[in-house]
Amino acid sequence: MSGRVDGWRWAGRVFLVLILLFTAVPMVWMLLTSIKSQFAAMQYPPQWWPKEPTLENYTKLLDPTNPVGNDFLRYMWNSFYVSLATTVLGVAVAVPAAYAFSRFRFPGRTFLFFAVLLRNMFPAVVFLMPLFILMRWLGLVGTHGSLILTYLTFGLPLSIWLLKGFYDNIPIQLEQAARIDGATRFQAFLLIVMPLSVPGILATSIFSFIGAWNEYVYAATFLNRQDQLTLPVGIQRFFAEFATDWPGLMAATFLMSVPVVVLFLILQRYFVRALTEGAVKS
Amino acid sequence: MAVSSGPVTGSLRRDDGLLRRIVTHRADYAYVLPALVVMMVVIAYPIWFTVDMSFYKTPASLQLRDRTFVGWKNYHTILTAPAFWSVTLNTLIWTVASTFFAFLLGLGAALSLHREFAGRAVLRAILLIPYVISAVAASYLWKWLYHSDFGVIGALSVQWGFTDKPINFLDNIHTALPSLIVVNIWREFSFAMIMLMAGLQTVPEQLLRAAQVDGANAWQRFWHVTAPHLKGVSMVTVLLLMVANFNSFIVPWLMTGGGPAGASDIWITHIYQIAFGRQNWGLASAYSVILFIVMMCLGYFYVQALTRGDKGRPE
Repeated sequence: MSGRVDGWRWAGRVFLVLILLFTAVPMVWMLLTSIKSQFAAMQYPPQWWPKEPTLENYTKLLDPTNPVGNDFLRYMWNSFYVSLATTVLGVAVAVPAAYAFSRFRFPGRTFLFFAVLLRNMFPAVVFLMPLFILMRWLGLVGTHGSLILTYLTFGLPLSIWLLKGFYDNIPIQLEQAARIDGATRFQAFLLIVMPLSVPGILATSIFSFIGAWNEYVYAATFLNRQDQLTLPVGIQRFFAEFATDWPGLMAATFLMSVPVVVLFLILQRYFVRALTEGAVKS
Repeated sequence: MAVSSGPVTGSLRRDDGLLRRIVTHRADYAYVLPALVVMMVVIAYPIWFTVDMSFYKTPASLQLRDRTFVGWKNYHTILTAPAFWSVTLNTLIWTVASTFFAFLLGLGAALSLHREFAGRAVLRAILLIPYVISAVAASYLWKWLYHSDFGVIGALSVQWGFTDKPINFLDNIHTALPSLIVVNIWREFSFAMIMLMAGLQTVPEQLLRAAQVDGANAWQRFWHVTAPHLKGVSMVTVLLLMVANFNSFIVPWLMTGGGPAGASDIWITHIYQIAFGRQNWGLASAYSVILFIVMMCLGYFYVQALTRGDKGRPE
């Protein structure tokens, strides 16, 4: 019998090696391409290992005195600004809502909650037309405000859902004790529940930030001035002019991915918890 | 907000009238109000707008004041166009194949990673990176891998003797859609993996050990002990993957734009083309309404799966 168990274990190991290759080889190839010159990248058969590795693509992108680098750094700043604003505002709106969904039993609560969830079901593209009209009416087309407002709303259902899961796990007795000691309900919320929900807030923040950082569809539609673009749209515009600069594009793609990957690696525990919260009750 | 009445738990007295209960709980709404206002403006209004617009013929100039009412004509146009059925077939293939393989790979990875071993956390983190980076990054990366002249995949398939010359993966009606599905699987399988890994933690160790003592082999233990415990989380995962795939736009749009000759055109890219390529918002809105309906059906099953996961856990 132990022979068969070992067989399964070996199958698992082989599978893990294969899936690791599937995941990692494309990313390794991106890195290898990004340290080649354009001439070295455009060869057939390919140079498997860069013969003359160069950091030229990166220095070009990160040098503010270079026009290419100047644009790239501006896009990065725009992405950062929009993502951060979305995250902070999103948490501010989601925290009270999630708390209410977790604690109170007001009429319409269940309906509201599923209405909130269903928002996740609709794709960005079909909301583009009405939101474009709405943003035009609000005078927000061509501003970062249009993106922040949009990202805020499509991040909100998930944020509320995640935070509600965290609040459900905070014992209600803590608040009741505070109420008996004379705290108002709002004070109990602010002084007792809020500090305990920091992990939940962190988890939702990562999600909002990564979602906003990576978003493409609205950013491609609502912004029109070159200096306002966020990274996902920016690098596209950028390389349309030199359609064949693949090493440069790979370097830009790598740099664009660094912040979210670093954020994810640091806060991985919360990320995973957020992802599985709600679907799995332990 | 401190003026609220009632104990912390909030009281739910069934004999109260609805209005009375709303008045009693008025303070509770203050907490959800900001979220509600934002959602109303950005969700209720767009849905109303789309449904309304779907009954109009809109000018390509997008001067929406000049629209004319045409009743159900847009819907008729969609359902009788041959493109509708080919796009629907592509969407089905895309959604089902992506979901199926992402789930399968995710399940394999979750089972293989369940046991503790050195480097497990690192491995899990690496596998999650494609899920974390943007779809834009993934699209450009894979576009380069698939490149017709200098792509590494074409070069390898020649080197290993699968083909005589590099295949133009993205510009061939037979390979375009499957190539995009591979990218999608690459991006998504680790989501299924993470969900199922969490699900595996709910499988009681004692049950597995008891089954082993009773002489069940590894496959029997998986099928009779582990699988029933994964049922709830699997349903949620599959539905979430299906919704995400059905709605995904960036990968097909940036990699092929729905081409060649519509071979990789799915609903979302098709709608985008009608709305922003042909500037026909009336028709695009009618398409969106049909899509709403499909999504509502999926949404219904999603909620069912979620609430079932809450109540009826196996054993």
